[in-house]
Formats: sequence, C-alpha cells, structure tokens
Amino acid sequence: MLHSMLALIVIGALAAVLGGWISLRTKTNELLRREPDRLLGDAQMLQLADRLARPLYQVHCAVCHGRAFQGDPARGVPDLAKHAWLYGNNPVDVEHTILYGIRSGHPKARNLTDMPALVRSGQISAAEGRDVVEFLQGLAGNPYDEQASLRGRSIYYDKGNCYDCHANDARGVTDYGTPALIGPVYLYGGDRQTLYQSILDGRHGQCPAWVKVLSPVQIRALALYLVSATRASAN
Amino acid sequence: MASRDDFFDVSKASVRRSMVLFASGAVIGLLIAGYGLFTAKGTRSRGVPAEAVALVNQRQILRSDFMTQTQSQFAVPFEQSTRAQRMETIEAMIDEELMMQRGLEIDLPSYDPEVRNALVAGVELEVTADVLAQQPTPDELRGYYEQYKDRYSSEGVMQLRDLLSTSPADAPKAVEALRRGHALDAVIKQYGLVDSGRLMDAGHVDTGDIFQFAVRAKLDDALYAAASALRDGDISTPITLSDGVHLIVMIHHRWPVPQSFDVASNRVWSDFKKEAQAKVRAANLAYLHSRADIIVSPEYAH
Repeated sequence: MLHSMLALIVIGALAAVLGGWISLRTKTNELLRREPDRLLGDAQMLQLADRLARPLYQVHCAVCHGRAFQGDPARGVPDLAKHAWLYGNNPVDVEHTILYGIRSGHPKARNLTDMPALVRSGQISAAEGRDVVEFLQGLAGNPYDEQASLRGRSIYYDKGNCYDCHANDARGVTDYGTPALIGPVYLYGGDRQTLYQSILDGRHGQCPAWVKVLSPVQIRALALYLVSATRASAN
Repeated sequence: MASRDDFFDVSKASVRRSMVLFASGAVIGLLIAGYGLFTAKGTRSRGVPAEAVALVNQRQILRSDFMTQTQSQFAVPFEQSTRAQRMETIEAMIDEELMMQRGLEIDLPSYDPEVRNALVAGVELEVTADVLAQQPTPDELRGYYEQYKDRYSSEGVMQLRDLLSTSPADAPKAVEALRRGHALDAVIKQYGLVDSGRLMDAGHVDTGDIFQFAVRAKLDDALYAAASALRDGDISTPITLSDGVHLIVMIHHRWPVPQSFDVASNRVWSDFKKEAQAKVRAANLAYLHSRADIIVSPEYAH
C-alpha cells in the first residue's frame, strides 16, 4: 500500500514537473510572440518577465546600471530610474539595445554617433569649449557668464555643430542616442568641468551585446522588466 | 504468477515491473529525442520558433530585427505600424534572405571581387570589433606615448649632398679639404667627386630641402645613419658601400622637434588603435593558417 502511494506521488510529481514545464514554455512563447507594447498592459506577462529577468539583471546588468537602475555617471551609464533613456524606452528599442549593445563591435550595434573630441581634434579651441559650457549652463537655468554664453551659443549652432546631434534645445535625440545637456538628468554630470571634459576628450560609452549570451526570451523579459520597473520607480 | 506486491518488492523478480520500467525508459527516451529533434539547430521544422517571425530555408528572421526594421523603415513606433507595413517589411526581409542565400549557393564571394572584398572587410571588422569599440584610457595613451616618444616629433628637413668618390684613395683628402672650409664645388672638381644619384627629384639632383623621411627612403641605412647625426656644415667620414665610397655633406639640417603628449595625443590615439588592430589581425591570421590545409606550388614553397 505504502509502495503504491509512493509510486503515485513520484508519478504525480513527474506529471507536475512536465506540466509546469509545458506551461512555462507556452507562456514564454507567448512572451516572445505578442507585441512588446501590449505585454506592458498584461499583469500576468509582466510578472513572468519580472521572474525571468530580475535575477538576470542582478547578474549581468546591475554591475554597470546599479541595483536600483541608478546608473553610473563616472562611466556614462544612464540613470534609468530617472528615465534617462538614451535610445528611448519603447520596449522594442530597449530590446534592440540589449541584443546588440551600444558601440559593442556587433555590426547591428547602436553606433550611429560618437561624441568627438572637439577640442583635442582642434575643431574648436579650449576657450570656445568653455563658452559652450556657459551657454549650456544658461539653458539649464543655472548662473552663467552672459558674454561667454553668447559666444558659446554661436559655437553650439555653428562651428561646433553641437545642435546637429544634441538638438536645438540641447535635450538630446533618442534617434542618435545623444543625451540631454541641460538636465535634469545628466549622463556624465552637469557641472562645468564634466561638461568641458566631454567637449575636450569626447565620450564613447558602451554597452555589450547580449545576443550570444542570453536567449531571445531572456532578452525580451529583460526589456519588459526594465521598462516596467523603471516606470514604476519613476512613478 | 507474481503477486501485485512483488511489483514494489525489489528483492523479488517481477515481469510486470520490468516491462513498466522498460516502457517508461523508452517513452522518456523518445520524448527527449523528439525535443532535441525539433529544437536543435539545422533541424527542419514546419513551425516558426517563437523568437522568429519567419524561417527561410530554416534560417530565422528574428522578431526583434523585424520590429526594428519596421520602425526604421516607416519611422513609426512598432505598435503604431499597420499590418500592410509589417507585411511589406517581412516580404523585404525574406527577399533579402533569399538573395543572400542564393549568393552563398552560387559561391559568389569566390569570383566576384566586390563581394569578396566586402566579405574580407566584414571578417576583419568582426575580428577587430572589440579593439575598435574599446577606448584606451588616458593612462594607457600616455604610457604608449612614453614608450614610443621618438615617433612623436615634427618632421626634420635636410639640405645635403651624397657624393661618390671616383678615386677612393682621395676620399679622406676631400673630407679634410671640406672640413678646412674649401668651397664645395672646388673640392668636387679637384677630387673627382660625383653625385651618387640617390637624392634625385624629377631626374635632377635634389639640392633643396628634403624631408627627413624622404632622405631615409632614398639613402642606404648606413648613409642615413651618418646623415642624421650631422649638423649644419658637417662632413661625414668616407663610407664604403658596394657602389663606391660616399661622402655626405650636410648643408642645412633642421632637426625634428619632439611633440608634447597634448600636441601628439590624436596621433597617439590613432597609433595605439592601429597597433592593437594589427595585433588582433595577425593573431587571427595565424590561427586561420594553423587550422588550414594550404599546399603551395613547389617553386614557391618555403
């Protein structure tokens, strides 16, 4: 009798494991097949994405992006908790970034633009670089030197060509992945010296490509997790 | 006849237990084999995997690539794209995949120089991608500059003559006369010196300013080494080479000026990257050679 019970328990457990596996596979397939934006409105699917992605984030992403998505200004890692999404927070765009990275060397990586070393390359002088910083301080509503800002304005819109990538209002362009230069959230920092350092030496932030490390469903789950969790933290 | 209890009593033989275990093993084996068969790479499948939007001759067109392509092709967020736009994107991606596969099928890279060059460039880029993407730190750049400081200087300029003595025994006398301050033309005539013909410009002996790198390219190593040590008005000691005895007369030497790190930083950065790329490229070629079966015609074999 006892033996019969044991056999039933073993068979039942095996069936449960098999059933669980089939159910998970069905749900993960659904996670991949459905449109990412619609998944954001599905609590069950978000829960699944969260379950799959949270440990992955802590292992693979938190080392740069921080445990609470706060980023790292020293390395130019954006503060996702404050919605500093360089390439937008549409889940399709986020997924593309996770898959192929930013300047990762993968042919499909995001590398349309690169902040040039404007002063080092001689495109503008050191004094002109400082003037651009004053112009940006003024735009951001900080105290600034008026004369220097006027000179900086013409560098920004003419000789330096800054507006071309960072937009006329210096708020950045997600198509190019260029950051806002007038806050409220800065990629590398909004103080004068940090802004000048970017103009002097250029910037080349990177994110690795995960296409060969993580599975498609893990990457989709991570994209959804990042978008939903950072929206929640912003709220 | 074994009783029902014998089934669970492992100390007793049970035909029924054997059959059940055998059947269970067979079913589990079949399940594992079936799963492997329908999910392994290279397996023909009638269904499209969840991560793909289409299979073209069993090659996946990834759903994420499809969504990105739709967004960039129609400049709208994917969720706002219409079914017609999506279908257009899928068709275009399938067409492209088919063309690419056809290109491989007819071995296009083996005979079309453009495809071949693109393929070689693509592989090189793939190999050096990490190096290209990696940005050297300021400390690495400065270390590189310190290591190869002599490379970073303005180009020197020389105005000089490379003379050949027709009478080798007279060469030391000619040197002596020049060092005493005798006129160059007079010494040339007196000791039968002729221009070596190495420092030529458009068919004539170049007696004007010549960049130091050009002098290096035109003169023998021994001659260049002697020339680069001479100051204005200096005469080298006679240098014997296979074509005769040479005398170098330095009329004017503007020495290279070393550049500071700040001035040379762009060149340092570019040299640093080039060197790193060259190392990776060489390592990759060495690896490819090591695993390749290359047979060279006997007349060109090492």
